[in-house]
Amino acid sequence: MKVAFYPGCVSKGACPELYVSATLIAKNLGLELEELTQAPCTGAGVLSEQNPDLADALNGLTLAMAEAEGADLMTICSTCQGVLSSHNFHLTREKERLDRANATIADQGFRYTGTTKVKHLLWMLFEDIGIDRVASAIKRKLTGLKIAPFYGCYILRPVESLGLKERPERKGYLERLIALLGAEPVEYRGSTKCCGFPMATFNREKALAMGGNHIIEAKEKGADLLVTPCPLCHLNLDAQQPDAARVLKKEIDVPIFHLPQLLGLAFGYEPEQLRLNHHVVPTKGALEKVELKV
Amino acid sequence: MEFTIEVGRYNPEGTYADSAKPGQPYPAPWDRSPARRYQTYTVDLPEHAVVLDALIAIREYQDQTVAVRCACRSAICGSCAMWINGHAHLACKSKLAEFTKDGKTRVESPPSMPIIRDLVCDMKPFWDKHLAVRPWLENKQPIPPPNEEYRVANASMEELIQEVSCISCGACLMDCESFAVNQDFLGPQALAQAYRYAADPRDAKTEERLGEYSQSGGIWDCTHCYECVTQCPKGVAPLEQILKLRRMAVDAGFTHNPGTRHADAFAESVRESGRLNELTLMPKSIGFFNIIEQLKTLPSAFNLVRAGKLPPLIHKKIPGVNRIKAIFERVGGRFK
Amino acid sequence: MTYDHDVLVLGAGLAGMRAALEAARQGADAAIVTKVHPIRSHSSAAQGGINAAISETDSWESHAFDTVKGSDYLADQDAVEVMCQEAPGDIIEFEHMGVIFYRGPDGRLGTRAFGGASQARTYFVGDITGQALLVTLYDQILKAGVKVYEEWFATSLYVENGACRGLVALEMITGELHLLRSKAVVVASGGLGRLYEPSTNALICTGDGYSLAYRAGAPLMDMEMVQYHPTTLAGSGFLMTEAARGEGAYLLNSEGERFMKNYAPNKMELAARDVTSRAEATEIKEGRGINGNVLLDLRHLGPDVILKKLPQIHEMALDYLGIDMIKEPVPVRPGMHYQMGGIKTDVEGATAMPGLYAAGEVACVSVHGGNRLGANSLLDTIVFGRRSGKAAAAFAKANSAPGGGEELLRSEQARLQELLARPYTGDTPAGLRLELATMMDDKVGLYRTDAGLHEALDKLQGFKKRYEKIAVGDKGRVFNQALTFALELGFLLDCGDAIIRSAIERKESRGAHTHVEHPERNDEAWLKHTVLTCVDGEQAEISFVPVTITRWKPEVRTY
Repeated sequence: MKVAFYPGCVSKGACPELYVSATLIAKNLGLELEELTQAPCTGAGVLSEQNPDLADALNGLTLAMAEAEGADLMTICSTCQGVLSSHNFHLTREKERLDRANATIADQGFRYTGTTKVKHLLWMLFEDIGIDRVASAIKRKLTGLKIAPFYGCYILRPVESLGLKERPERKGYLERLIALLGAEPVEYRGSTKCCGFPMATFNREKALAMGGNHIIEAKEKGADLLVTPCPLCHLNLDAQQPDAARVLKKEIDVPIFHLPQLLGLAFGYEPEQLRLNHHVVPTKGALEKVELKV
Repeated sequence: MEFTIEVGRYNPEGTYADSAKPGQPYPAPWDRSPARRYQTYTVDLPEHAVVLDALIAIREYQDQTVAVRCACRSAICGSCAMWINGHAHLACKSKLAEFTKDGKTRVESPPSMPIIRDLVCDMKPFWDKHLAVRPWLENKQPIPPPNEEYRVANASMEELIQEVSCISCGACLMDCESFAVNQDFLGPQALAQAYRYAADPRDAKTEERLGEYSQSGGIWDCTHCYECVTQCPKGVAPLEQILKLRRMAVDAGFTHNPGTRHADAFAESVRESGRLNELTLMPKSIGFFNIIEQLKTLPSAFNLVRAGKLPPLIHKKIPGVNRIKAIFERVGGRFK
Repeated sequence: MTYDHDVLVLGAGLAGMRAALEAARQGADAAIVTKVHPIRSHSSAAQGGINAAISETDSWESHAFDTVKGSDYLADQDAVEVMCQEAPGDIIEFEHMGVIFYRGPDGRLGTRAFGGASQARTYFVGDITGQALLVTLYDQILKAGVKVYEEWFATSLYVENGACRGLVALEMITGELHLLRSKAVVVASGGLGRLYEPSTNALICTGDGYSLAYRAGAPLMDMEMVQYHPTTLAGSGFLMTEAARGEGAYLLNSEGERFMKNYAPNKMELAARDVTSRAEATEIKEGRGINGNVLLDLRHLGPDVILKKLPQIHEMALDYLGIDMIKEPVPVRPGMHYQMGGIKTDVEGATAMPGLYAAGEVACVSVHGGNRLGANSLLDTIVFGRRSGKAAAAFAKANSAPGGGEELLRSEQARLQELLARPYTGDTPAGLRLELATMMDDKVGLYRTDAGLHEALDKLQGFKKRYEKIAVGDKGRVFNQALTFALELGFLLDCGDAIIRSAIERKESRGAHTHVEHPERNDEAWLKHTVLTCVDGEQAEISFVPVTITRWKPEVRTY
């Protein structure tokens, strides 16, 4: 199944492990990844906030590029998903906005007619690839692991543009996936909350406290690790975890996995292939529970 | 139809709840609020009944000691906002059938607000924040004579209906992520009302307001998580109003803050390379003159290096980046 | 503890806050005592709009005549004249305060049509006019720095030497009883909807002010005039604003016909509320209703109008009945809505008791007489809120501060303690209230009979006896709502008593009071107000006061 693959900026920057693991597992899931190498950054909401027209044009360009491929646009980042869904929602419903965006990208030889569907890998697992296909690719059950899902705001809110009114089941995919892979999902309040990333550069301590508190809550409920479909959340929860621990004056030490890494382990890949040895918070302890070494 | 309700009970008998343990920075809200016990009740109500119907039935006929604020029963007065299954909702607008999970619905006072008793929280933080944004019209001079109204376009009044629809229920603040770690954050409702007055064509102090709201605890303390938009029962969309204020503040020239620098750094990165340059984003947002804050980020930079996650020092541009530059030229506004 | 102020205002709705603001502007040390936060006041439920003769093609005389006719000629015309003359100035003042009124294409205030009005003169904000006024006024109170005793429940007025000198209130957060003294008190505590079931009113509308003033010795007037609103949502009783009909909605019976053509052929759905409510009740009684309701049809208005001008009621019908009014008609029926009668005041808001003032729904000036026009209540609150605040401030300036009151505080303390200590009898305040309210709707509602009214009075006395023994299920101090409910039930019983006694007296049909055995309006004998005074704390003394006529002689009232 062909998809217009939009890896986003972070998976090619500070989270290369995400890109590597995503491209690896694509094969097991029968996904043919046609990467949109010329598509720009979504703006992560920052550009949308400051200059909606600019963000409409940039994201309109990306959507048009996917349209030209004749395939769904697949994201591997909650933030990309949120921003692209939001712009797609408005561009397909507000002719004025679409016209303006098209006028800007017409110079570049592109035009968006509004047919692209934006889907995160997490959604595609359930809605396009199918749970049976995913189950049949499992070679190694992750039994014994307690895994806490961390969605990331932008794959859950705002509700309208993410199609959550029509498909409320999207709010529970991570838990179902964790169970499917043989592990135990951990229920905790922070799973749908914010990691703090949007204000991490200008309100650092508070952002760290936010993310840190959620990890600690999951830890207290027994989680061995957190899994997240968003690399920006991953940066705040993993790369910044030591600083969060310092700010909160508490020990944390809970590894954070990317969604494709978790799938990769279940599909039989070795931790190093998935770059699980390149996290800031060591993944060793969690991996030992399923008799894996890193 | 039978419904089971779990009510969070707390009765201090004359004392307020304890605040956070001294010396503990940034405690989670549920660490800050006192322990409560949950009492289970069953009620028999029509199938479209709402949570408030259940609470009223309980306190009228089963247990008169359950305290809950309510008045209009129809989502106008804003009294009955509380945590229902862990998120802030109006009890009078929440259908029991929709909220029943695993056979029951749990209601309690939201942990991020101080608690008075049972389902009655202390709304003082909420009212204080509302007062803090000076939420009243500072009349533009000259004020028309007593028999004449200001002449303004209906569109400018309709623009404000969304904010005036706010019933001050507090649901947005109760679920605000930023407020949960930072009690100084003005919060979604106050900032939505701040926009309501800043955008009123009859207000004379727009610029001063924007300056005030750009300070610490104001518009740049919002973490953009959309909780308030999702929980607001009246469609006020406080986050959208905060973003409007951010735009207005930047347009008015209040750009000497990390929030604006962050946006500028982001835009510059995307314009020049088509993608985000994580390496320079943090230092540029902090501002090169802010040495102490820059130094604080060194440990995490070091961690990235150690883990082999440091992005390449030479930031790669995407193929076809000229397209992106052209787009910025055309509609980039301040970011050209 | 004891607190002293110049002026105390009881109630923080539109009338109360306007009174306090005015008193503060006049230099008085004013404070508001309210049992809920000001924003929670029931004023915010008033949806449709506020009347004033502002436009050039309009005149205050026309507005006044419509009001007088609407009142079925029971309104005091001097008071109506004052209200209609001052209406434009008060509305413009609120616009200057920042209310986001709807504008016409010229940028000036724009109108919508409303019931009983000879021309469109209702100014509005979407369908949240009351809320828009309330929040703006609250913001002005914040700006003026007026003190608010929030969630303080008044249990008794303090009367010394025949003058009102303050009140005793329960601070709900601590459970402590306090004495608040002042030189003047403005009672603006709103209506008594909980006396009837169903009612559009909030749970807090329990007639506190009527009872407190009555027991203190101030007379109540025209209590029998209880308005039923024609369009309350089936089941819950929530208000479906008259603005819907103002925008053009139809009322249909089970045969799909616009039955108002048989009752008010000129104004149709925009006839006065009592006329429309009775029409609906007749249709339902004669078998042309649908499960005890009629239908409010807005489909022909189109989604644009509904979503822009009536979004709140659209959402209500969707939330509480699952009906989308864009696609289907909404079942509605008459429900108790407003009390035209109340504490008797003059045009300055002064009652017969020195130092005691009243404004808003709780007061009876009388501007609404036997039936209130839609969008006149919001007007009433701001005009007479302002006037009573001003008068109270002037009175405070001219009088010395009171002393004493400790004895009242002690006796209130004892009274509440006794109430809390009572053993359970099998009656709950909620259960008793429901019996009372159902009885009132049944026998003292849209249609009244002699037998029915006397039976109601008997039943009420029975309820009163049970009330004297009723126990309170929560004995705690902090935020004891069971205690305040029990006190509120006492207020409701007093109000019920006053309403029934007044209704028994009026042997004619006028406005909202329809007496089956006396179906005609009788101007010769009954162009007067029924006045009820409490003597020796128990006896109700009836008297009458003629209606003040200035320029409009009573005519036949048709729409």
